[in-house]
Amino acid sequence: MTAAVGAPRVAAIEYPFGRTVGQPGDISGQMAVLRATLKALEEMHTPGEIKHLPFEWPETPKQARSHPLEAPPIVKYLQRRPWDLRKLFTRDVPTQL
Amino acid sequence: MNAKQVDSFCYIDGITKRIIKSWIDREPPHRVPWTPLPKKLAECTVALISSSGIALKTDIPFDQEGERQNPWWGDPTHRVIPKTATAEDIKLYHLHVDPTFAEQDINCLLPLQRLAELETAGEIGRVADSHYSFMGYNLQPEQLLEETTPAIIATLQDEAVDVVVLITA
Repeated sequence: MTAAVGAPRVAAIEYPFGRTVGQPGDISGQMAVLRATLKALEEMHTPGEIKHLPFEWPETPKQARSHPLEAPPIVKYLQRRPWDLRKLFTRDVPTQL
Repeated sequence: MNAKQVDSFCYIDGITKRIIKSWIDREPPHRVPWTPLPKKLAECTVALISSSGIALKTDIPFDQEGERQNPWWGDPTHRVIPKTATAEDIKLYHLHVDPTFAEQDINCLLPLQRLAELETAGEIGRVADSHYSFMGYNLQPEQLLEETTPAIIATLQDEAVDVVVLITA
């Protein structure tokens, strides 16, 4: 999505939501990600270029907690009104709820 | 040669993946703005921007209740985070992100302490005085693009920032 909206340079990382830079307290891990991101900035010379950072998260996607404990409001809304899901696909935001 | 190919969808469910791909397909072609790095990183002033809805506890909270009332709406405003902020000083208001980690260690999403260490090590020139956060969930981003973004850019320019790292939630 970041690339699709025209970000000039993208350093992509496969880390879970809420921990994009690393685990809490993992100073060396966070530093490695920030350093690699800034290094990518120096190395990218083409508008829209994407650099895939080599870091691997230590858990599988299923193991990694990446969502809030409480479902977001739009999820609860669509559970009540599943027929509105198609509007989310097209970002056809309802004018009245 | 780096062989890793990041899978941007590996932490989301099938329906969310289809929704985001649908949004990507609907994006018109964008002219990609480009500013060459003006000087060596060791001479640059660096600022961070997080899309995870982080605010100082002393600041006005992001409007979670507005999103609960209208789940199609997201708070389009932003907050300034000073470079000295720590986890104790902030709250994370993004309702689509688990706040536990960044509220325990702000560096998970806004690595201010790590950036300060890079300044001390001489790897960057200076940490900007101000950093920024906004709510990444925004289905109608007009106000975010037309009011919030120019306001952030104005402050970045006032503080002579050379490099901005935008960190997604």
